[in-house]
Amino acid sequence: MSKRDLVGVISLLILVGFLGLGAASMREFGVVDRAYMDDYIISHSQDEVGANNAVTSVVFDYRGFDTLGEATVLFAAVVGVIVIFRREVHE
Amino acid sequence: MDLLSLVHIILPLLIVVAAGFAVLLRDLISCTIALAAMSLLLSLEFYILHAPDVAIAEAGVGACITTAIIILAISMTKREEDER
Amino acid sequence: MSEMSKIVRSISNLLLPFILIYGFYIILHGHLTPGGGFQGGAVVASGLIMVLVAYGSERFASWVKEKHLSILESVGALGFISLAFLGLSTAFFYNFLAGKGGLFGDIPPEGSNPGALNTAGTLPLMNLAVGLKVIAGLASIVLVMGLASHYFRQEEKNDT
Repeated sequence: MSKRDLVGVISLLILVGFLGLGAASMREFGVVDRAYMDDYIISHSQDEVGANNAVTSVVFDYRGFDTLGEATVLFAAVVGVIVIFRREVHE
Repeated sequence: MDLLSLVHIILPLLIVVAAGFAVLLRDLISCTIALAAMSLLLSLEFYILHAPDVAIAEAGVGACITTAIIILAISMTKREEDER
Repeated sequence: MSEMSKIVRSISNLLLPFILIYGFYIILHGHLTPGGGFQGGAVVASGLIMVLVAYGSERFASWVKEKHLSILESVGALGFISLAFLGLSTAFFYNFLAGKGGLFGDIPPEGSNPGALNTAGTLPLMNLAVGLKVIAGLASIVLVMGLASHYFRQEEKNDT
């Protein structure tokens, strides 16, 4: 086993240890520990936005700026793929 | 044990099995099909965890578009994995 | 990618309208049922990519030009941004149509109910804009990759 493999094994062990620590201190499945924002959105989104689907009202209204970023990421991905793969037909 | 908690146990095991097939198979087209099956099972898991938005996105992007892109890439190279 | 067999082409012809209707249903009912612009756009793009795989990228490129897809993508992006800027009198991304009556201006009753289509202000329009953007983006990615593989194979044939 070379020195490089040893470094890899040690860093993997540290990573697994931290992940296990995080998984051990996780809350119960389905139990929320901070619910101010959830309660506000569930009780107010029908009045303020008028949408029955609270998820869409969060995505497009309360957190619309994040959706703008997502659209920008998609646009950048499309532009990158087209720049790499587009072939002009000569002759 | 009721049926839903049984499904909660069986579906992740099936996902792991499909992912193992995607790693272990030699034929790359079969690997892609195994990956698509894994995406479909993952979308089913999202659905029974009450996240239908993510389930629709996962089924559309993971099972169709990723498969098409990977098969296009395989058709540009060769179908069998190299022996090592 | 070359054309596939007649069975695959007939089945894809048969399935395409249902997939398109389902995808546009998800986009247009994004403010009532689960889903929205991105999800419905991914479903519609899946249907288009099924046709692309069944008929081959060259024939698909003769039906759907890359220029049309880029126009669709630009319309989606510009619509999304301009809808965000139209609410700038209060705040960026302010929902200026909700609760005013008129276009998409109704308020649904409190609690769980099936909902009405004429609600939610700018949300359906934004869903439509993002849906157009996602359809055009994902379809043009796979179309460009398929055409690139076609040209790649032609160049290889010319070299040998």
